[in-house]
Amino acid sequence: MSSKPKPGKDNFTRNLVVGVVVGVVLIMLVPTLLSNKTKTDAAMPTFASAVHGYGITYNAELKDVPVIDIYEDFQCPVCGQFEIAQGDYIESLIADKKATVVYHTLSFLGPESIAAANAAACAADEGKFLDYHKMLYAKQPNENSGAWSNAFLAAAGQAVGITSQKFATCVNEGKFADWVGNVASEGAKKNVNSTPTVFINGKELNRGNDYYDRNLFKAAVERG
Amino acid sequence: MTALKPWIGLISRLTLGGVLLAAGLLKFQELDKSQMAVRAFELLPVGFANFMGIVLPFAEIGMGILLILGAGTRIMGLAGAVLMLAFSFGISWAWARGLSIDCGCFGGGGPVEPGTANYLPKLLRDLGLAVMGIYLFLFPQSKFALDKFATHETPDQKENKDEQ
Repeated sequence: MSSKPKPGKDNFTRNLVVGVVVGVVLIMLVPTLLSNKTKTDAAMPTFASAVHGYGITYNAELKDVPVIDIYEDFQCPVCGQFEIAQGDYIESLIADKKATVVYHTLSFLGPESIAAANAAACAADEGKFLDYHKMLYAKQPNENSGAWSNAFLAAAGQAVGITSQKFATCVNEGKFADWVGNVASEGAKKNVNSTPTVFINGKELNRGNDYYDRNLFKAAVERG
Repeated sequence: MTALKPWIGLISRLTLGGVLLAAGLLKFQELDKSQMAVRAFELLPVGFANFMGIVLPFAEIGMGILLILGAGTRIMGLAGAVLMLAFSFGISWAWARGLSIDCGCFGGGGPVEPGTANYLPKLLRDLGLAVMGIYLFLFPQSKFALDKFATHETPDQKENKDEQ
Protein backbone atom coordinates (compact mmCIF):
# COMPACT_ATOMS: atom_id res chain seq x y z
CA MET A 1 0.00 0.00 0.00
CA SER A 2 2.85 2.32 0.80
CA SER A 3 4.54 1.73 -2.53
CA LYS A 4 4.60 4.78 -4.77
CA PRO A 5 2.56 4.37 -7.91
CA LYS A 6 4.37 4.79 -11.20
CA PRO A 7 3.12 7.40 -13.62
CA GLY A 8 0.17 5.93 -15.49
CA LYS A 9 -0.11 3.20 -12.90
CA ASP A 10 -1.70 5.32 -10.23
CA ASN A 11 -4.31 3.97 -7.91
CA PHE A 12 -7.00 6.55 -8.68
CA THR A 13 -9.66 3.98 -9.57
CA ARG A 14 -8.79 1.85 -6.56
CA ASN A 15 -8.98 4.83 -4.22
CA LEU A 16 -12.26 5.95 -5.74
CA VAL A 17 -13.75 2.47 -5.28
CA VAL A 18 -12.53 2.23 -1.68
CA GLY A 19 -13.98 5.67 -0.99
CA VAL A 20 -17.35 4.84 -2.53
CA VAL A 21 -17.68 1.46 -0.80
CA VAL A 22 -16.67 2.80 2.62
CA GLY A 23 -18.91 5.84 2.12
CA VAL A 24 -21.98 3.82 1.13
CA VAL A 25 -21.50 1.38 4.01
CA LEU A 26 -21.28 4.24 6.50
CA ILE A 27 -24.26 6.05 4.97
CA MET A 28 -26.32 2.91 5.44
CA LEU A 29 -24.90 1.94 8.83
CA VAL A 30 -25.41 5.19 10.70
CA PRO A 31 -29.20 5.50 10.14
CA THR A 32 -29.59 1.79 10.96
CA LEU A 33 -27.81 2.28 14.27
CA LEU A 34 -29.93 5.33 15.03
CA SER A 35 -33.21 3.71 14.02
CA ASN A 36 -32.48 0.82 16.36
CA LYS A 37 -32.62 3.15 19.33
CA THR A 38 -35.85 3.25 21.31
CA LYS A 39 -38.21 5.82 19.83
CA THR A 40 -39.82 7.52 22.79
CA ASP A 41 -42.30 9.31 20.54
CA ALA A 42 -43.67 6.09 18.97
CA ALA A 43 -47.45 5.66 18.99
CA MET A 44 -48.28 3.30 21.87
CA PRO A 45 -51.19 0.88 21.95
CA THR A 46 -53.48 0.66 24.98
CA PHE A 47 -51.89 -1.20 27.91
CA ALA A 48 -48.38 -0.82 26.50
CA SER A 49 -46.06 0.32 29.25
CA ALA A 50 -42.68 1.94 28.72
CA VAL A 51 -41.55 0.94 32.22
CA HIS A 52 -42.31 -2.70 31.35
CA GLY A 53 -40.13 -2.66 28.23
CA TYR A 54 -43.03 -1.39 26.08
CA GLY A 55 -44.87 -4.69 26.56
CA ILE A 56 -48.67 -4.96 26.65
CA THR A 57 -49.17 -4.96 30.41
CA TYR A 58 -52.12 -6.27 32.39
CA ASN A 59 -52.66 -5.50 36.08
CA ALA A 60 -49.79 -3.04 36.12
CA GLU A 61 -51.34 -1.37 39.16
CA LEU A 62 -51.24 -4.46 41.40
CA LYS A 63 -48.69 -4.70 44.19
CA ASP A 64 -47.40 -7.85 45.90
CA VAL A 65 -48.21 -10.11 42.96
CA PRO A 66 -45.70 -11.86 40.72
CA VAL A 67 -44.69 -10.04 37.52
CA ILE A 68 -44.65 -12.39 34.54
CA ASP A 69 -42.78 -11.12 31.48
CA ILE A 70 -43.45 -13.18 28.37
CA TYR A 71 -41.20 -12.64 25.34
CA GLU A 72 -42.73 -14.28 22.31
CA ASP A 73 -42.92 -14.09 18.54
CA PHE A 74 -46.29 -14.82 16.95
CA GLN A 75 -44.56 -16.89 14.26
CA CYS A 76 -42.53 -19.04 16.63
CA PRO A 77 -43.98 -22.57 16.75
CA VAL A 78 -42.66 -23.20 20.27
CA CYS A 79 -44.47 -20.03 21.41
CA GLY A 80 -47.62 -21.64 20.03
CA GLN A 81 -46.93 -24.71 22.19
CA PHE A 82 -46.37 -22.49 25.20
CA GLU A 83 -49.69 -20.75 24.50
CA ILE A 84 -51.45 -24.11 24.33
CA ALA A 85 -49.80 -25.26 27.55
CA GLN A 86 -50.14 -22.11 29.67
CA GLY A 87 -52.31 -19.60 27.80
CA ASP A 88 -55.53 -20.29 29.74
CA TYR A 89 -53.75 -20.28 33.07
CA ILE A 90 -52.04 -16.96 32.36
CA GLU A 91 -55.32 -15.42 31.26
CA SER A 92 -56.96 -16.64 34.46
CA LEU A 93 -54.16 -14.97 36.46
CA ILE A 94 -54.96 -11.73 34.64
CA ALA A 95 -58.72 -12.07 35.16
CA ASP A 96 -58.34 -12.96 38.85
CA LYS A 97 -55.82 -10.15 39.38
CA LYS A 98 -53.24 -12.61 40.70
CA ALA A 99 -50.31 -11.45 38.58
CA THR A 100 -48.99 -8.58 36.51
CA VAL A 101 -48.54 -10.02 33.03
CA VAL A 102 -46.46 -8.34 30.32
CA TYR A 103 -46.60 -9.57 26.73
CA HIS A 104 -43.49 -8.61 24.74
CA THR A 105 -44.33 -9.31 21.11
CA LEU A 106 -40.89 -9.73 19.55
CA SER A 107 -40.46 -9.82 15.80
CA PHE A 108 -37.12 -11.37 14.89
CA LEU A 109 -38.57 -14.09 12.69
CA GLY A 110 -39.26 -11.65 9.91
CA PRO A 111 -41.73 -9.21 8.35
CA GLU A 112 -44.82 -11.26 9.15
CA SER A 113 -43.87 -11.20 12.84
CA ILE A 114 -43.76 -7.42 12.67
CA ALA A 115 -47.15 -7.32 10.91
CA ALA A 116 -48.67 -9.70 13.48
CA ALA A 117 -47.26 -7.75 16.44
CA ASN A 118 -48.62 -4.52 14.95
CA ALA A 119 -52.03 -6.11 14.38
CA ALA A 120 -52.11 -7.42 17.96
CA ALA A 121 -51.34 -3.89 19.18
CA CYS A 122 -54.24 -2.61 17.05
CA ALA A 123 -56.41 -5.26 18.73
CA ALA A 124 -55.24 -3.95 22.12
CA ASP A 125 -56.68 -0.59 21.14
CA GLU A 126 -59.98 -2.39 20.59
CA GLY A 127 -59.71 -4.04 24.02
CA LYS A 128 -59.22 -7.43 22.37
CA PHE A 129 -55.50 -8.12 22.67
CA LEU A 130 -55.85 -11.41 24.57
CA ASP A 131 -58.49 -12.78 22.21
CA TYR A 132 -56.52 -11.77 19.15
CA HIS A 133 -53.33 -13.16 20.67
CA LYS A 134 -54.96 -16.55 21.24
CA MET A 135 -56.55 -16.56 17.79
CA LEU A 136 -53.21 -15.84 16.03
CA TYR A 137 -51.57 -18.82 17.72
CA ALA A 138 -54.53 -21.02 16.87
CA LYS A 139 -54.11 -20.08 13.19
CA GLN A 140 -50.32 -20.00 13.16
CA PRO A 141 -49.01 -20.77 9.64
CA ASN A 142 -45.46 -21.69 8.65
CA GLU A 143 -42.93 -18.90 9.17
CA ASN A 144 -43.06 -16.16 6.54
CA SER A 145 -45.20 -18.24 4.21
CA GLY A 146 -47.03 -15.09 3.14
CA ALA A 147 -50.17 -16.10 5.04
CA TRP A 148 -50.07 -13.19 7.48
CA SER A 149 -50.58 -10.31 5.09
CA ASN A 150 -52.05 -7.10 6.47
CA ALA A 151 -55.28 -7.90 4.62
CA PHE A 152 -55.50 -11.26 6.38
CA LEU A 153 -54.61 -9.82 9.78
CA ALA A 154 -57.24 -7.09 9.40
CA ALA A 155 -59.95 -9.55 8.36
CA ALA A 156 -58.92 -11.93 11.16
CA GLY A 157 -60.14 -9.35 13.65
CA GLN A 158 -63.70 -10.41 12.85
CA ALA A 159 -62.99 -13.84 14.36
CA VAL A 160 -62.69 -12.15 17.76
CA GLY A 161 -65.43 -9.64 17.19
CA ILE A 162 -63.45 -6.66 15.92
CA THR A 163 -65.33 -5.08 13.07
CA SER A 164 -64.27 -1.45 13.18
CA GLN A 165 -62.73 0.27 10.19
CA LYS A 166 -60.27 1.89 12.59
CA PHE A 167 -58.76 -1.52 13.31
CA ALA A 168 -58.35 -2.34 9.62
CA THR A 169 -56.71 1.03 9.00
CA CYS A 170 -54.41 0.56 11.98
CA VAL A 171 -53.31 -2.88 10.68
CA ASN A 172 -52.89 -1.75 7.09
CA GLU A 173 -50.86 1.34 7.80
CA GLY A 174 -48.67 -0.37 10.39
CA LYS A 175 -49.60 2.24 12.96
CA PHE A 176 -47.54 0.66 15.73
CA ALA A 177 -44.48 -0.34 13.67
CA ASP A 178 -42.20 1.95 15.68
CA TRP A 179 -43.60 0.54 18.89
CA VAL A 180 -42.88 -3.00 17.62
CA GLY A 181 -39.30 -1.84 17.08
CA ASN A 182 -39.18 -0.52 20.64
CA VAL A 183 -40.37 -3.84 22.05
CA ALA A 184 -37.63 -5.57 20.04
CA SER A 185 -34.83 -3.28 21.17
CA GLU A 186 -35.95 -3.48 24.81
CA GLY A 187 -35.95 -7.28 24.52
CA ALA A 188 -32.43 -7.11 23.10
CA LYS A 189 -31.36 -5.01 26.08
CA LYS A 190 -32.80 -7.68 28.39
CA ASN A 191 -30.60 -10.27 26.63
CA VAL A 192 -33.57 -12.30 25.38
CA ASN A 193 -32.04 -14.72 22.87
CA SER A 194 -34.88 -17.06 22.09
CA THR A 195 -38.65 -17.28 22.24
CA PRO A 196 -40.57 -17.98 24.29
CA THR A 197 -38.62 -16.57 27.21
CA VAL A 198 -40.45 -16.00 30.47
CA PHE A 199 -39.23 -14.02 33.44
CA ILE A 200 -41.04 -14.31 36.76
CA ASN A 201 -40.22 -11.33 38.96
CA GLY A 202 -37.22 -10.69 36.72
CA LYS A 203 -35.85 -14.23 37.06
CA GLU A 204 -35.68 -16.33 33.90
CA LEU A 205 -37.81 -19.46 34.01
CA ASN A 206 -35.77 -22.68 33.87
CA ARG A 207 -35.45 -23.96 30.33
CA GLY A 208 -37.11 -27.27 29.84
CA ASN A 209 -40.29 -28.57 31.34
CA ASP A 210 -41.18 -25.47 33.35
CA TYR A 211 -42.50 -23.92 30.15
CA TYR A 212 -44.76 -26.75 29.08
CA ASP A 213 -45.85 -28.52 32.26
CA ARG A 214 -48.78 -26.75 33.88
CA ASN A 215 -47.93 -27.79 37.44
CA LEU A 216 -44.27 -26.83 37.15
CA PHE A 217 -45.17 -23.49 35.58
CA LYS A 218 -47.78 -22.83 38.23
CA ALA A 219 -45.30 -23.69 40.97
CA ALA A 220 -42.75 -21.30 39.47
CA VAL A 221 -45.34 -18.49 39.37
CA GLU A 222 -46.41 -19.15 42.96
CA ARG A 223 -42.82 -19.23 44.17
CA GLY A 224 -42.55 -15.79 42.61
CA MET B 1 5.84 -20.55 -7.41
CA THR B 2 6.25 -16.83 -8.07
CA ALA B 3 4.01 -17.18 -11.09
CA LEU B 4 1.39 -18.92 -8.98
CA LYS B 5 1.29 -16.32 -6.25
CA PRO B 6 -1.05 -13.85 -7.95
CA TRP B 7 -3.42 -16.72 -8.69
CA ILE B 8 -3.34 -17.92 -5.08
CA GLY B 9 -4.01 -14.30 -4.18
CA LEU B 10 -7.00 -14.19 -6.52
CA ILE B 11 -8.46 -17.40 -5.09
CA SER B 12 -7.92 -16.11 -1.54
CA ARG B 13 -9.52 -12.78 -2.36
CA LEU B 14 -12.58 -14.32 -3.98
CA THR B 15 -13.02 -16.96 -1.27
CA LEU B 16 -12.56 -14.71 1.75
CA GLY B 17 -14.38 -11.83 0.05
CA GLY B 18 -17.21 -14.03 -1.18
CA VAL B 19 -17.74 -15.58 2.25
CA LEU B 20 -17.71 -12.17 3.94
CA LEU B 21 -20.11 -10.66 1.41
CA ALA B 22 -22.56 -13.58 1.61
CA ALA B 23 -22.42 -13.71 5.41
CA GLY B 24 -22.90 -9.96 5.66
CA LEU B 25 -25.88 -9.88 3.28
CA LEU B 26 -27.63 -12.74 5.08
CA LYS B 27 -27.17 -11.06 8.46
CA PHE B 28 -28.20 -7.69 7.05
CA GLN B 29 -31.66 -9.07 6.30
CA GLU B 30 -32.25 -10.05 9.93
CA LEU B 31 -30.47 -7.55 12.11
CA ASP B 32 -32.49 -8.51 15.20
CA LYS B 33 -31.23 -12.06 14.83
CA SER B 34 -27.72 -10.87 14.13
CA GLN B 35 -27.77 -9.01 17.44
CA MET B 36 -29.18 -12.07 19.13
CA ALA B 37 -26.46 -14.27 17.64
CA VAL B 38 -23.73 -12.04 19.07
CA ARG B 39 -25.44 -11.91 22.48
CA ALA B 40 -25.76 -15.69 22.57
CA PHE B 41 -21.95 -16.05 22.73
CA GLU B 42 -22.13 -14.47 26.21
CA LEU B 43 -18.78 -12.91 25.45
CA LEU B 44 -19.57 -9.19 25.23
CA PRO B 45 -21.66 -6.92 27.46
CA VAL B 46 -25.25 -6.91 26.17
CA GLY B 47 -25.18 -3.31 24.93
CA PHE B 48 -21.92 -3.77 23.05
CA ALA B 49 -23.06 -7.13 21.64
CA ASN B 50 -26.18 -5.43 20.24
CA PHE B 51 -24.01 -2.72 18.68
CA MET B 52 -21.70 -5.31 17.11
CA GLY B 53 -24.69 -7.27 15.83
CA ILE B 54 -25.57 -4.28 13.66
CA VAL B 55 -22.07 -3.12 12.72
CA LEU B 56 -20.74 -6.57 11.81
CA PRO B 57 -22.94 -7.23 8.74
CA PHE B 58 -22.12 -3.82 7.29
CA ALA B 59 -18.40 -4.29 7.89
CA GLU B 60 -18.53 -7.75 6.31
CA ILE B 61 -20.34 -6.47 3.22
CA GLY B 62 -17.82 -3.63 2.76
CA MET B 63 -14.80 -5.85 3.29
CA GLY B 64 -16.26 -8.53 1.03
CA ILE B 65 -16.82 -6.12 -1.87
CA LEU B 66 -13.34 -4.58 -1.55
CA LEU B 67 -11.66 -8.01 -1.42
CA ILE B 68 -13.56 -9.25 -4.46
CA LEU B 69 -12.56 -6.12 -6.39
CA GLY B 70 -9.02 -6.30 -5.08
CA ALA B 71 -9.10 -2.78 -3.68
CA GLY B 72 -6.93 -2.28 -0.61
CA THR B 73 -6.17 -5.99 -0.60
CA ARG B 74 -3.41 -5.79 1.99
CA ILE B 75 -5.42 -3.99 4.66
CA MET B 76 -8.61 -5.91 3.89
CA GLY B 77 -6.71 -9.21 4.08
CA LEU B 78 -5.41 -8.24 7.49
CA ALA B 79 -8.83 -7.04 8.66
CA GLY B 80 -10.45 -10.23 7.34
CA ALA B 81 -7.88 -12.38 9.12
CA VAL B 82 -8.40 -10.49 12.39
CA LEU B 83 -12.16 -10.91 12.05
CA MET B 84 -11.86 -14.64 11.32
CA LEU B 85 -9.52 -15.11 14.28
CA ALA B 86 -12.03 -13.26 16.46
CA PHE B 87 -14.80 -15.58 15.20
CA SER B 88 -12.57 -18.59 15.86
CA PHE B 89 -12.03 -17.36 19.39
CA GLY B 90 -15.77 -16.88 19.86
CA ILE B 91 -16.56 -20.37 18.59
CA SER B 92 -13.81 -21.92 20.76
CA TRP B 93 -15.15 -20.00 23.75
CA ALA B 94 -18.71 -21.22 23.17
CA TRP B 95 -17.43 -24.75 22.67
CA ALA B 96 -15.23 -24.69 25.77
CA ARG B 97 -18.05 -23.33 27.91
CA GLY B 98 -20.45 -25.93 26.60
CA LEU B 99 -22.91 -23.39 25.17
CA SER B 100 -25.41 -24.78 22.70
CA ILE B 101 -25.64 -22.02 20.14
CA ASP B 102 -25.76 -21.54 16.41
CA CYS B 103 -22.84 -19.27 15.55
CA GLY B 104 -25.09 -17.17 13.33
CA CYS B 105 -22.18 -17.03 10.91
CA PHE B 106 -24.53 -16.80 7.92
CA GLY B 107 -27.53 -15.18 9.55
CA GLY B 108 -29.77 -16.80 12.12
CA GLY B 109 -28.11 -17.73 15.36
CA GLY B 110 -28.97 -17.99 19.01
CA PRO B 111 -29.47 -20.99 21.25
CA VAL B 112 -30.07 -24.43 19.72
CA GLU B 113 -31.05 -27.79 21.18
CA PRO B 114 -28.26 -29.09 23.44
CA GLY B 115 -25.98 -31.44 21.56
CA THR B 116 -26.79 -30.12 18.10
CA ALA B 117 -24.21 -27.34 18.04
CA ASN B 118 -21.43 -28.42 15.67
CA TYR B 119 -18.40 -26.32 16.37
CA LEU B 120 -15.40 -28.08 14.82
CA PRO B 121 -16.17 -27.59 11.10
CA LYS B 122 -16.96 -23.92 11.70
CA LEU B 123 -13.77 -23.43 13.64
CA LEU B 124 -11.68 -25.07 10.90
CA ARG B 125 -13.43 -23.04 8.21
CA ASP B 126 -12.79 -19.75 9.98
CA LEU B 127 -9.16 -20.65 10.65
CA GLY B 128 -8.74 -21.53 6.98
CA LEU B 129 -10.20 -18.18 5.97
CA ALA B 130 -7.89 -16.46 8.45
CA VAL B 131 -4.91 -18.10 6.72
CA MET B 132 -6.15 -16.69 3.39
CA GLY B 133 -6.40 -13.23 4.94
CA ILE B 134 -2.87 -13.47 6.30
CA TYR B 135 -1.65 -14.63 2.90
CA LEU B 136 -3.22 -11.56 1.28
CA PHE B 137 -1.59 -9.32 3.87
CA LEU B 138 1.82 -10.82 3.11
CA PHE B 139 1.37 -11.15 -0.68
CA PRO B 140 -1.27 -8.62 -1.72
CA GLN B 141 -0.50 -8.75 -5.43
CA SER B 142 -3.10 -10.77 -7.24
CA LYS B 143 -4.75 -11.24 -10.61
CA PHE B 144 -7.62 -9.00 -11.74
CA ALA B 145 -7.27 -6.57 -8.86
CA LEU B 146 -7.83 -2.84 -8.78
CA ASP B 147 -4.70 -2.44 -6.69
CA LYS B 148 -1.68 -1.40 -8.72
CA PHE B 149 1.72 -2.24 -7.35
CA ALA B 150 4.69 -0.40 -8.74
CA THR B 151 7.60 -1.58 -6.63
CA HIS B 152 8.01 -4.71 -8.62
CA GLU B 153 6.01 -5.77 -11.59
CA THR B 154 4.06 -8.95 -11.33
CA PRO B 155 5.22 -11.67 -13.70
CA ASP B 156 1.95 -11.19 -15.47
CA GLN B 157 2.69 -7.57 -16.29
CA LYS B 158 6.11 -8.57 -17.56
CA GLU B 159 4.59 -11.20 -19.79
CA ASN B 160 2.15 -8.69 -21.18
CA LYS B 161 4.97 -6.32 -22.01
CA ASP B 162 6.93 -9.08 -23.68
CA GLU B 163 3.96 -9.88 -25.83
CA GLN B 164 3.55 -6.26 -26.81
